[in-house]
Amino acid sequence: MSDPILRTENLTKEFGKLVAVDDVTLDVERGEFRSLIGPNGAGKTTTFNLLTGALRPTRGTVTFNGENVTALPPHERVRRGLGRSFQITNVFSGLTVRENVRLAAQAAREGGFTPVEEYLRRSDAFNDVNEHTDRVLDRSGLLGRGDEPADVLAYGDKRRLEIAIVLATDPDMVLLDEPTAGMSAEETRATMDLIDEVLSDRTLLLIEHDIDLVMRVSDRITVLHRGEVLAEGTPEAVSEDPEVREAYFGGVEA
Amino acid sequence: MSVASAVAEQVLNGLVVGMVYVLLAAGLSIIFGVMDVINFAHGELFALGAYFAFAIAGPLGGAGFWVALVVAPLLVGVVGMGIERLTVKRLYGRDPLYHILLTFGLVLIINDLITSVWGKSAQPFPVPSVLDQPVALFGFNYSLYNYGIIVFGSALALGTWLLLNRTRFGMIIRAGSEDREMVRTLGINIDRYYTLTFGFGAALAGVAGIVLGAYQNVSPTMGSSVIIPAFVIVVLGGLGSFRGAVVGGLFVGLVQTFARTYTPFLEGLIVFLLMIAVLVVKPTGLFGTSVGAGDHHDGALLHGSGGGVLSAETRAKLGYAGVGALLIVPLLAEVTGVTYSVTLLEDILIWALFALSLDLVLGYAGLVSLGHTLFYGVGAYASVLTLMHVSPSVFVALVVAVAVCAAIAWGVGYLSIRVSGVFFAMITLGFAELFYNAVFKFDFTGGSDGLFGVDAFYGLAGLGIDPGEFTVPLGPFVLDGGVVQYYFLLAVVVGSYLLARRLIRAPFGSVLQSIRESEERASFIGYDVTAYKRRAFVVSGGLAGLAGGLFAANNGYVAPSFLHWINSGEVIVMTVLGGMGTLYGPMLGAGVFVAAEDVLSSYIDQWQLVIGVLFVLFVIFVPRGLVSLPQTVADHPIFESAVGDRVGEQAGVTDPEVDRHE
Repeated sequence: MSDPILRTENLTKEFGKLVAVDDVTLDVERGEFRSLIGPNGAGKTTTFNLLTGALRPTRGTVTFNGENVTALPPHERVRRGLGRSFQITNVFSGLTVRENVRLAAQAAREGGFTPVEEYLRRSDAFNDVNEHTDRVLDRSGLLGRGDEPADVLAYGDKRRLEIAIVLATDPDMVLLDEPTAGMSAEETRATMDLIDEVLSDRTLLLIEHDIDLVMRVSDRITVLHRGEVLAEGTPEAVSEDPEVREAYFGGVEA
Repeated sequence: MSVASAVAEQVLNGLVVGMVYVLLAAGLSIIFGVMDVINFAHGELFALGAYFAFAIAGPLGGAGFWVALVVAPLLVGVVGMGIERLTVKRLYGRDPLYHILLTFGLVLIINDLITSVWGKSAQPFPVPSVLDQPVALFGFNYSLYNYGIIVFGSALALGTWLLLNRTRFGMIIRAGSEDREMVRTLGINIDRYYTLTFGFGAALAGVAGIVLGAYQNVSPTMGSSVIIPAFVIVVLGGLGSFRGAVVGGLFVGLVQTFARTYTPFLEGLIVFLLMIAVLVVKPTGLFGTSVGAGDHHDGALLHGSGGGVLSAETRAKLGYAGVGALLIVPLLAEVTGVTYSVTLLEDILIWALFALSLDLVLGYAGLVSLGHTLFYGVGAYASVLTLMHVSPSVFVALVVAVAVCAAIAWGVGYLSIRVSGVFFAMITLGFAELFYNAVFKFDFTGGSDGLFGVDAFYGLAGLGIDPGEFTVPLGPFVLDGGVVQYYFLLAVVVGSYLLARRLIRAPFGSVLQSIRESEERASFIGYDVTAYKRRAFVVSGGLAGLAGGLFAANNGYVAPSFLHWINSGEVIVMTVLGGMGTLYGPMLGAGVFVAAEDVLSSYIDQWQLVIGVLFVLFVIFVPRGLVSLPQTVADHPIFESAVGDRVGEQAGVTDPEVDRHE
């Protein structure tokens, strides 16, 4: 019944005496939209960095698609199908929109390149990469803007490009780091629609502190509190959990 | 003298030299820690201190030294503040590379000023007679002046520590080094403190210069001889760490002194070996706190761009025209008798190739290699040694040169590319200095003389051309072997450019460009950033080795000066001058630089000064290089408002339509 695409076991990260992530065990099912929420300081970002490979855990393991990836650097995880988006759009701003996407498609090319291809052929001479690039541009609504430099794109289109780059690496699973941070309600909706439109056939793990947003979009929610998993379940179940209510709405708002 | 007192004397000598290093490194380290500025001109400020004191003390006689000891550092401090205000200040927020470049220009300026005022030769600077006598302490005689240096240096170091840690001034500059925006937000005029800090660091260098000047003598080269060890100390101790500067300075002083006496072979090598060892084990240096120093700088490297000025076709046509002109020069030279122009062009071609090689790492992989002459020099040595011992064929020699340099680049890259930014720069500088000092030590490299009198055969297995016997009559003129060398060189340089361009346009090059745009993003779409950088470094090292090998084969000699750090500085200057990240820009920069140097040096004595000033102006006002000059002018606010909206709106957009309007 269970086919977890991503699994962490006893994942722990200590910074000196501070235990940022404490014994987190997590199963994300293939195809689900999972959210990881928690108040500030709950360990969300650290967990995210442990999953992407930006940080190495003090203890515990990360398993992706049945393979132990705990010791792998970020690019190796991406190559195995674990993509990520950035909170602040992080595109290659000096390059064109097409080149941004093409680079990601090139990285994901089936079978890689022979040395002659890699060093001596023109980078735009690979039909399979170009076709993949066009498909991704088309799907993310950027086909008409391929030749524009990325840095002149409007904010919303930059966001689109950000997602398009992730899509072009052809990930099985995408980690989304607060993709709507700092956005107005309208921008937030547009971004979530875009993610839904472009990435809905992938497994998604959303790191987010906006609880309303999470309730709306997630299949299941994991609540982190002080580095530990406090609760896990459907949005309804989690929102009714007394412990979550205490942790999340405790204090003034209770 | 007993063994114990001999050792004690060595320890004291080491401490004397160490104190001078402490004062130098402390200033350097404070300036770096607070402003992220790598001040190459620090050595020249050191020399300036010595010369100011020399000028003040001379006419005043007996008490002159004491007046000079107070006044000269203050003067150097004022010079330092002037430098900060007028030049360094304009570059805050840019990548530290630009400070390296700027202060490299300042080295040329200050050094030339010193030689034009005080002459080229070393001059004695007598120690005051009160101190110029031995004293007997702990059972043996030792110079009172040297004791004085140790005591005075310790007091100054302690005073500096107190200033940094116990005063408001120190608190503000320490806070500023953590987060300058935060300090600014608190309503503190941090810019004023930067100026003061720079002046203070310069004054410390001035004191060190006086102390050492009286210990040895004053000479125009005293600055360039201490600057590299001073950098090593700062890196060894941890960039920006005052404690590191003190411990590192004393340690290096002691190690150098002991090495000179007990292991002369290691003198000049051991310091660099130590630095490399420390950085490999602990990249932040002994007392460095975070690798952050090299990572968090907010400015990016500014790349040249040919777009927006000339269309690709125009540039291609200019390229063909240029190569065409280069093809007919030897014939014209023969006809007109100006054969000297061919020699100059050969020089330019070699440097153009060298600059091209640097551009691959600097302009495309964002790696500031401060020791690129390592590959140029090693390529030259490898080429000459091959011609002497293996084969007279220039082809074999060049293949060996390229292979050896690529292998060394792989090794150096393996050790250093993990550590980023400033540390990479310092490690490459360290390796270059290591090799520079090493070639003096061995017989097979010809020691300080180098190797000369080598003839190259332009062919393989007996089939080919021997330039020594080559003559082609051409009407009333005769073309000799020099022509063969010239055309071979031209072919190799043009071929290397085409190869480099191919690499950059291939998938490999596109990844390098993505790394230059955003390293983090490149790694999160699946590229092994470190591996790509290392490969670029290997290619670059190989090409630089080719440049060195060509020069050595053409001219039939090699000398240690091929490995001198000044070459590394010059090739960076050429690359930036032309416009990095364009491949052809740096080659153009090499042409302009070498030609300017040649013309200026034949007409005026102070040509270094002129080049230095031009270069400083360039770094400040035209950081994107010659190839972007028209665009830079068009983007300038003054010009923009004059021309109106038409150009302003379109600036930066590489639309062919716009090109024509501009």
